[in-house]
Amino acid sequence: MITKNFLFTKIFISIIFIFLIQFFSINSYGVDPDEILKNKKQESRARNISKNIRCMICQNQSIDESSAPLAKDLRILIRSKIKEEKNNEEIYKFLTDRYGDFILLKPPVKLSTLALWILPFIFFVIGVFIVFSHNKKSKNI
Amino acid sequence: MKKKLLLIPLIFFLSILLVFFYLLIIDRKPSELPSALLNKNAPKFETMSLFKEKKFVSSEVFGNEKQLVNFFATWCKPCRDEHSYIKLFSNREGIDVIGINYKDDDQKVIGWLDELGNPYSDIAIDKNGRIAIDWGVYGIPETFIINSKGIIKYRHVGPITKKIYKKINLIINEIE
Repeated sequence: MITKNFLFTKIFISIIFIFLIQFFSINSYGVDPDEILKNKKQESRARNISKNIRCMICQNQSIDESSAPLAKDLRILIRSKIKEEKNNEEIYKFLTDRYGDFILLKPPVKLSTLALWILPFIFFVIGVFIVFSHNKKSKNI
Repeated sequence: MKKKLLLIPLIFFLSILLVFFYLLIIDRKPSELPSALLNKNAPKFETMSLFKEKKFVSSEVFGNEKQLVNFFATWCKPCRDEHSYIKLFSNREGIDVIGINYKDDDQKVIGWLDELGNPYSDIAIDKNGRIAIDWGVYGIPETFIINSKGIIKYRHVGPITKKIYKKINLIINEIE
């Protein structure tokens, strides 16, 4: 019994440890040191924008994480736009004008993407309805 | 009544299966994305021309006749594969073939064209890839078809194959 408990504690500690490593590690490996802006405020803005921009080559990564040449070009471009004092909307518009909405990792709420945003809620409501009506029936029996 | 209701999930499941099967068998490449520039003016840019002793000014080049714009580089293997088709386009009546050389070395391009033949009436040099970004290019080779008003009518990502060659020929006939 004691050994069994000991095993569980060991597994539990290991799991906590893995989570902690995940939590404290910096997941970015895309940004090269020479790209980083000296102004910390501008750099963090660039990082935040980059995290929302899809790398068109490795389509499920953001350009912040990707080491593809085009991702690097876009990161540098975003930084130069920030230096030119362009605001975030202007930078996003610059990119979507050229690459379409697909370059945004999060699709914008538009008439054409409405189903994408609303359907999960509709399915949730249907699900809740089914569960409740089922429970009611079971109680009646 | 209840038995009929129980059929609904089955029908739902089968219809999803059907949709998936349909998407599987149709000729579809998820990595190929529609261009955001379709039916818009070709982007404006100025750069050096590879063989002419003058600048390549896009507003002077585009908008006079139907044109095919091909992004290529000597380091790109699929560009070599599609080269014979680009040459076929240059021999065809009614279309002007323009090249945009992406992140490349001028001397290598000249050697490459000496070896394979030059289908381009002019080549713009895109040393740092900045022009390609304005065109929404993400993987060369990429080919654009521009009408005589300078509006982009078609974009193809990847090498031109026999099938795409035929498709582009039809598009060239259709557009103004």
